Amino acid sequence: MTSLSTPLVPRSRSRRPVRVRRSGGWFRRLVASPIVWLVVAANAGVVVWILFSSVKDTRSILESPWSLPSSLHLDNYARAWTSGDFAAATFNSVVLVVGTAAATVLLAAPAAYALTRLGGRGSSGLTAFFAVGLGVPSFAVFLPLYVVMSHLGLVNNLAGLWLLYTATSMPFAVFFLTAFFRSLPQEVEEAAALDGASPLYVFWRIVFPLARSGIITLLILNVIQHWGETFFALVFIQDRALQTLPLALYNFLQTMQYSGADWAGMFAGIALVVVPMIVAYAFLARQIIDGMTLGAGK
Amino acid sequence: MTATAEPLVERRTAPSSTLARRTRARGSSFERGRRRLFLPFVAPALALYLLFLVAPLAGTVFISFNKWAGSGPMEWVGIKNYTHIFQDPVFRQSFGNMLVLLLVGGFATFAISFVLTMLLRDMPGRKFARAVIFFPTIVPALVLSILWGFLFQADGLVNTILERLGMAHPPEWLASEHQFQMIVLGIVWTSTGFYTTILMASVDRIPPYLYEDCSLAGANAWQVFRHVTLPLSWDVVGVCAVLWTINSVKTFEFVLAMAGASGSLPPTNTWTSALFAYAAVYPSGGIPAYGASAASAVVILALVAVLVVGLRRLMRRDAVEF
Repeated sequence: MTSLSTPLVPRSRSRRPVRVRRSGGWFRRLVASPIVWLVVAANAGVVVWILFSSVKDTRSILESPWSLPSSLHLDNYARAWTSGDFAAATFNSVVLVVGTAAATVLLAAPAAYALTRLGGRGSSGLTAFFAVGLGVPSFAVFLPLYVVMSHLGLVNNLAGLWLLYTATSMPFAVFFLTAFFRSLPQEVEEAAALDGASPLYVFWRIVFPLARSGIITLLILNVIQHWGETFFALVFIQDRALQTLPLALYNFLQTMQYSGADWAGMFAGIALVVVPMIVAYAFLARQIIDGMTLGAGK
Repeated sequence: MTATAEPLVERRTAPSSTLARRTRARGSSFERGRRRLFLPFVAPALALYLLFLVAPLAGTVFISFNKWAGSGPMEWVGIKNYTHIFQDPVFRQSFGNMLVLLLVGGFATFAISFVLTMLLRDMPGRKFARAVIFFPTIVPALVLSILWGFLFQADGLVNTILERLGMAHPPEWLASEHQFQMIVLGIVWTSTGFYTTILMASVDRIPPYLYEDCSLAGANAWQVFRHVTLPLSWDVVGVCAVLWTINSVKTFEFVLAMAGASGSLPPTNTWTSALFAYAAVYPSGGIPAYGASAASAVVILALVAVLVVGLRRLMRRDAVEF
């Protein structure tokens, strides 16, 4: 393809002053834009529809799914909250997710810093070794983990799940933060070192605060990931009192076969999971998008 | 994933070695302090990684050569688990489904993502459109699946519309022979935003004068795509293909929740390999087959490794400088 693009370059430079209409004419205006906006509207519509359905009763969800809610059925939320055990699940999920994100950053940031700045010859290989872990799916490791962790009493135990989440976060966290630390300028660290600051001081007081934006992005991504994590939770938690939000949703879905289809309660439960994400996304969309696509887009 | 790490790794050696040289020239205690810090900084993360991912991976390989019900004695059976699962119609079906998702779903996702990318290029409001299209990426797959199931169930949203449009007998989307196709469709819908965003970032780096030249030369949309967009974003497409391979193999929740309110595992003809690995350990009746589960996981991992290496080879081309 080089053959095509190289001759284009010099020629187009000379033509640059000529204004070319980039909007592409009728096709773009009449066909392309409507398609894109249709996709956008469908996605946004689904979210709005969930919120509406969460305050309707099941009969009107099924019979007139497109109608606006005629009255506010907040009892859906009350039902999900109490009989669906979403109260305990929300609490568990919040604690677990916050704890995991904090522990992940506290362990991965020093490691990533050491691999980018302190390391000798072996550290590039070690960084790549961490990155390989990104390709390991949960179902390829859960059996030995279950066996060993049940011997240690870490199964059906939120602390065990927290440990597991933190450990399995390491590959992405280290991979993400090494890329980030590498992009930071070194001059400040060197200046501090010349002023006699110890390496540990340089890391905690200078590099860590400098890397704030990357660390915050990592925290957000980590929270998002574990807010919806289902596989490990399903395997490692059996107690209803210990379940996380995805488990509560899954159990609610399963109990519907005995107690009748309570779609209203289901959508209230879904809203409990999704609304915090919508709120976070409204404020942090750019950071989330950039963070998740980092490494691929370069 | 070595794939994405490679360029980063190469880039890093230069600056740190200059710093090392500079500090070494000073011969300071600072440099010694730095080196002493390396191990305590890396060790905790590395230990967790080794204990919770690398060692269990080795454990899974070991279990795959044994007959084991999760407790009691293990019996070494060599490669019997592997020959067994390949004779098992359920595994073959799940393996086939996974391949369908990987190849057909992958092709569809990439085609749609590229179309959206081309349409979104210099469109007013693109940032907003991109943000909305990206949103499903962060929603838990379980939620998306429940929603998808509801949209297409017999009296669900889609059929209400079709009935109102005058279709007397709208199709039964979730009848078991269509169900897996609907799952693939749902995964394509929810993945498109992620890949569109990555492709958009790479297409944005293509200098606009190339497109101007195309429009002056009277190229149509396909020619522009074929001769400018695709070659200039080729390496990013390669990375996306690797990501898709890894992500599609992990597909679990989307299939699991499609069983809906039936209260058990979904019908076996919708299973993917991840579901097989899970279900072998929690059978609805009978003895858990840890060996079969482990063997299926190893097979999938081997497939992923081969595909990732193969993709890297296949997608490697002379980088187009621009």
